[in-house]
Amino acid sequence: MRLSPDQFWTYFEWLFNQYALIQGFLLVVVLAILGFVIGFVVALLKHGPTEGFLQVSKLIRELFVVDIPATSTRRVIAIARLAIKEAIRKKVLVVVAVFVVAIMFAGWYLDPQAQYPARLYISFVLTTTNYMVILLGLFLSCFSLPGDIKSKIIYTIVTKPVRPTEIFLGRVLGFTAVGTLILLLLGTMSYLFVVRGVDHTHEAMEISADGRSGVTTLQQFHTHTFTLDDLGEGKTNETKGHSHVVTKVGDKIVVGPTTGDLEARVPIYGSLRFTGRDGEENTGLNVGYMSEYQKYIEGDSLSSAIWTFKGLNASSFGSELNYDMTISAFRTYKGDIVTPVGGEVIFRSIDGSVESERYPFKVKEFQIDQRSISLMGMKGFRKGEPVSNLDFFKDIAPDGNFEVMIRCKDKSQYLGMAAADLYFRANTLPFWWNFIKGYISIWLQMVIVICFGVMFSTFLSGPVAIIATVSIIVLGFFGFFVDDIVKGTNQGGGPIESLIRIPIQSGSGTELDLGNKTLETSIRIVDKSLLICVQTLSRAIPNFIQLGTADFVAYGVNLFGGLLSRHLTICVGYFLMTGIISYFFLKTREMAA
Amino acid sequence: MATTTAPTTSSVSSTDPTNVIVETRNLGKIYRDFWGRKKVNALKALDIEVRKGEIFGLLGPNGSGKSTTIKLMLGLLFPTSGRAFVFGKDATDVAKNERIGYLPEESYLYKFLNAEETLDFYGRLFDMPASVRRERTEQLIQMVGLQRARRRQLKEYSKGMTRRIGLAQALINEPEFLVLDEPTTGLDPIGTREMKDLILRLRDQGKTILLCSHQLADVQDVCDRVAILHQGELKELGRVDSLLKVQDVTQIHARGLDEKTKQEIKDLIARSNGEMLRMDNPTTTMEELFLDIVRESDQRPGRRGSGA
Repeated sequence: MRLSPDQFWTYFEWLFNQYALIQGFLLVVVLAILGFVIGFVVALLKHGPTEGFLQVSKLIRELFVVDIPATSTRRVIAIARLAIKEAIRKKVLVVVAVFVVAIMFAGWYLDPQAQYPARLYISFVLTTTNYMVILLGLFLSCFSLPGDIKSKIIYTIVTKPVRPTEIFLGRVLGFTAVGTLILLLLGTMSYLFVVRGVDHTHEAMEISADGRSGVTTLQQFHTHTFTLDDLGEGKTNETKGHSHVVTKVGDKIVVGPTTGDLEARVPIYGSLRFTGRDGEENTGLNVGYMSEYQKYIEGDSLSSAIWTFKGLNASSFGSELNYDMTISAFRTYKGDIVTPVGGEVIFRSIDGSVESERYPFKVKEFQIDQRSISLMGMKGFRKGEPVSNLDFFKDIAPDGNFEVMIRCKDKSQYLGMAAADLYFRANTLPFWWNFIKGYISIWLQMVIVICFGVMFSTFLSGPVAIIATVSIIVLGFFGFFVDDIVKGTNQGGGPIESLIRIPIQSGSGTELDLGNKTLETSIRIVDKSLLICVQTLSRAIPNFIQLGTADFVAYGVNLFGGLLSRHLTICVGYFLMTGIISYFFLKTREMAA
Repeated sequence: MATTTAPTTSSVSSTDPTNVIVETRNLGKIYRDFWGRKKVNALKALDIEVRKGEIFGLLGPNGSGKSTTIKLMLGLLFPTSGRAFVFGKDATDVAKNERIGYLPEESYLYKFLNAEETLDFYGRLFDMPASVRRERTEQLIQMVGLQRARRRQLKEYSKGMTRRIGLAQALINEPEFLVLDEPTTGLDPIGTREMKDLILRLRDQGKTILLCSHQLADVQDVCDRVAILHQGELKELGRVDSLLKVQDVTQIHARGLDEKTKQEIKDLIARSNGEMLRMDNPTTTMEELFLDIVRESDQRPGRRGSGA
């Protein structure tokens, strides 16, 4: 699992430094203008300009002055309770039965000899739950209100003092409550399935003559080797993503339960910069293949990747500093293919006056290279002079801030890395808590689907509302395309430039040449404005790929509070947006038409 | 239940504007298709008033615009022209619904709820506290006679029972103004009579009732004033008794006359240059006959003696 830098932004970094707040504000402005214009055009066609304007203004005023203040909790709860009763009496709990069946027969299609069984099990339950709950939210939310309108039950609702805000809130709350109940049931079953599925132990066998090492029995298609220290305590090697604690009790060697497979590592990430072969800062090299994700440094030169870490706390670590690397190699010549490309890691203070010794490493492609260094008695250099008694948190990172530099040792070979490819492992948090956070993430996705489903159901029939909601989900997957056009990564310009290029048969890779610089500049300015509007509007569509966090749980990485808070904020944003849109549709819809 | 009484005029208020519950001004509705093309002109420039304390009937054949008028008054539809006011507020104002009860043409209710849950749900929509909801639910279930079926889901109800629970939900908030769309549809003769008696009782309690029906007998029995619609246009509006009165015909009801006296009456009419239209024994209505049989059967079970 590789994280992108945006996944470990803190909440406030995302909100302020990465302009989420400004983007949200822009979205509100663009949607408000768009909504007002569309509303005004419709009202103008129906009532003429003056009356039309008054009607739209009255509608907006009523939302804030009348309907929101008059919204009654009792009515909202009544509608929510009704939605819950409706769902339960229409046998929505069948979903749980389907899930039970899926788990019962999971053994048929989950590979029992998988390299990382825990990861496989967790991915399976999270993905299955995610799809089932989203589908549930989709069907619940899209069919209920159109059903009431079709059966005319809505007549007896809207002729009571029920506000459009209450209809939306009640439905969303009710369906969310049903979804939450089902998610709790599925989550509990999933947790038991995973924990029981990976839980096992071994017996010690083939013990050496000195009784300090041996091999375990075969269980769940694997064995371990183990060694014991003088105190009779030890550990097995890591196989299938876990190990076991081994202890000698009397004459007997006892192998404990699994460790390391169900956990939540807490990674601490830093920011990354590069220097070139001349030692000057650059953006890292693009070796011209793979993705844009990693940048490369050249071997046997001053080219380096430098991470800056801030605020590491000594209390988060024991006697060792644990760090993981997922560095890639790019070979310009085959060389000794058996020997991996090598590099070195240097820890140094921010001012560069104190450095650790060089820690060599060989690239482990497609694996997490777990490493650790002792925090006390480190060898290194102080102002260029060799020393052998450095204290990491006293000499290199006195205030928790320091740098890590990686260089490639092999001439004409390259090492590739991104910000997330080197991180420190502080504590390990309990797996169950990370599992719950994974389910909170699924819950947020479900709520977003319900909000959109209810919104579409205020003006579309059930099946069409489903298609519209699914279309929104699919469209959200292509939000990156708009981003790429705005950033200029996709060539060919914006909508007007592209439109001009077609008749004049101008290739997208060339500069637009109309023979008039002013015209070209004007087109680009208009295009840019249009694209910013489109980009802003594309934020109105949820990206469920970005909202998915199953990998965090499956790969045993702590799901950051910052990321979850962001997703919660996004969910609240969609809730407000769909609520306001639903309000206007409900308010202007003739229920008996 | 009390027997049907003739409509009274005592509770009908004057045309004082403060006593007007519903007022429509030039109210019109055109139904259009998706492309905005005119499909049907359902209501044309309707001007009526429903006054406090009266039973107002909307009469007309199918497609005459009765239901459209009611839906416009309730805010279920928006007018194409003109305006409708209820309690002096625009018909689209949700706040007016606090004082309104509505029994739709068919009881559009949640079939998966039982009677108690239904009334509790609608009580919550009026923001009523739990104790008031419980009390009202109990009263209404007693009133509409659904004590034995209070815990049964509405999907198991007969059409008559569904109408009763529909009426109960319309009364949950003790409305000042009650809109009843075809209230006797689906009811047997006893149920119809009970419904009519209930409507009169509600009127006597001071409630204003707008009744929409094509059952002419029902309207005649209970309404104080009626509006007759046809093809979306108001054709007649006025008090039932004055609309039905045939001014140039005199009706005499007498008992115990012999043939000689009858002949003398005929001669007297002839001498006064009047025209004898009919002189015979009156017949009762089928409704009266049916109700008499049922009442008698309740008192004396067993086969009834043939009257033929």
